Amino acid sequence: MNIAQQIYRIFAGRILASIGFAVLIIVVLAAVFAPLLAPFDPLDIDPISRLQEPSLEHLFGTDQFGRDTYSRAIYGARMAVIIGAGSVAFALLTGGLIGMLSAYFSRLGSFLMRGVDVMMAFPALLLALVLMTLLERSVVNTIIVIGIVYAATTARILFGMTLKLKGGVFIDAAICSGAGHASILFRHILPNLLSPLLVQATFIFAFAQLQAAALDFLGLGLPPEVPSWGNMLAESRIYITRASWLLIFPGMLIIFSVFSMNLVGDALRDTMDPRFKDDIAGV
Amino acid sequence: MTDSIQSLLSVKNLKTWFEIGGSGLFGGNSRALKAIDGVSFEIAHGEVLGLVGESGCGKSTVGRTLTLLEKSSGGEARFEGQDILKMSNAEFRPLRRSIQMIFQDPFASLNPRLSIEQTLSEPLRIHEVATGRQEIINVIADMLTKVGLDPSVMARYPHEFSGGQRQRIGIARVMILAPKLIIADEAVSALDVSIQAQVLNLIKDLQQDSGVSMLFISHDLGVVRHISDRVAVMYLGRIAEIGRKEDIFTNPAHPYTKLLLSSIPSTKPGRKKVRDLGEPASAASPPSGCAFHPRCPLASDICRSTRPEAVSVGSDHLTACHHTDKAVDIAA
Repeated sequence: MNIAQQIYRIFAGRILASIGFAVLIIVVLAAVFAPLLAPFDPLDIDPISRLQEPSLEHLFGTDQFGRDTYSRAIYGARMAVIIGAGSVAFALLTGGLIGMLSAYFSRLGSFLMRGVDVMMAFPALLLALVLMTLLERSVVNTIIVIGIVYAATTARILFGMTLKLKGGVFIDAAICSGAGHASILFRHILPNLLSPLLVQATFIFAFAQLQAAALDFLGLGLPPEVPSWGNMLAESRIYITRASWLLIFPGMLIIFSVFSMNLVGDALRDTMDPRFKDDIAGV
Repeated sequence: MTDSIQSLLSVKNLKTWFEIGGSGLFGGNSRALKAIDGVSFEIAHGEVLGLVGESGCGKSTVGRTLTLLEKSSGGEARFEGQDILKMSNAEFRPLRRSIQMIFQDPFASLNPRLSIEQTLSEPLRIHEVATGRQEIINVIADMLTKVGLDPSVMARYPHEFSGGQRQRIGIARVMILAPKLIIADEAVSALDVSIQAQVLNLIKDLQQDSGVSMLFISHDLGVVRHISDRVAVMYLGRIAEIGRKEDIFTNPAHPYTKLLLSSIPSTKPGRKKVRDLGEPASAASPPSGCAFHPRCPLASDICRSTRPEAVSVGSDHLTACHHTDKAVDIAA
């Protein structure tokens, strides 16, 4: 089955999820083509036209430095996608590896998984706050910190699934064929984990954006000059009574993109999660 | 008994115990479940030994221990003179080519994410039986034809096949390495009766053509009778009786064997009713003495106190019973 057919199978008949998917595509396109879509430089300060209401020239109005909010929002999409994709990659790589290895080598697992349990005992935002206070504000550090927070969840999930797969008869058969540890882990177990990993990725992507926005708002995320939706909220919050558009637009964007990703994740899980469907394999 | 010089596999006093009742920090006291408790048998070159017994008697554990899927707790298993039970996984790896296993469940034994070609090429690559893609494909196509499948199925995935076809693929995976010993663990039990006969005959034909030795584990006496040269009957982790197929089926010496044989459903009219002796005891708390005594019509004091050792009751025919001299009709 090709990718287009798979996508059709996931979204056919799911109106909300389809809308979510469309919103996501728009966000990703905005991120990729930000320099073409933004009418102004997001960092250009223009004191004369500060705090202007939305107009045809400035669709989302201007902020306290006269920067075009619409352009900043489009560049914000770029940051949202970078943070989301980076956190997903970090969380799945580290968490996935920890979970798989812990389940496969049970002695190693009894140590590693206790560490994961400790990480999971902290609320996600609190853990991210503590880690961020130890690090400099930067894009890479934000990705790492959010990645660490969700690596723990990923490790937990993959630990259980690997444990279940490891006891499977086809693993015994592979052992009898003479397959070594690496072959069993990456050739026999990992391909069977791809569907849950994909589902997990969509949820991490959504939560990472939310976390990043929260960190930005609290002044611990991206550097303040970076145009991200969270930073826009943080900088303009004192103008909420005078220039509410400064908060409404980035706020709505955070809500829509996170909500969309969750809808897509739900649809993916419903079609792919082995707990509901055990015949996804081999598709 | 087969001369040990000729035998391919010689198992002596094999024990596999599992720990039950918790372990670790808060485990409390654990006990040993003696899944196999002193099993001895030999398999000669080209011979098929049938291993029968009720579920839970440890017959599958014998197969899994001999392929090092389970860790043995004692005894020895000499394959061509080398004790495989003492080997580490790395040491045993080259020998895996010679000792192959057919699994019971054809739906679980194939990786759903690998195509048939990928599944069958894996053992070839690991043991360097064939190198180069074209040669590997040729060998696989050849093997698929031998197990009665079209070579074109190579590109397909397990979910596209029926149970019988999957088991043929499982057999191909084993035969492709030209092993010396095959352990078939309930190889046809999961299949429909109509398919069972086909697959069983396939296994028998391949065995006879290649002259491979086989340990054929099954609970089905009819199947075992069809394929085996010699038969071992297991009860609660021990062998109750072992001998040539004809002796076991026509002249059984152990009361448990007699009971098993009398339980084969028959369509002949006027056959005596099967004596129902209830469930077997649990291997976690085996009865004292002879494990079979609570169900045995011949049980006496010595059976309750002393475990019987295997004694010879004919040429190549051993039984572990205190009352082999008593000729009693079990199917009372």
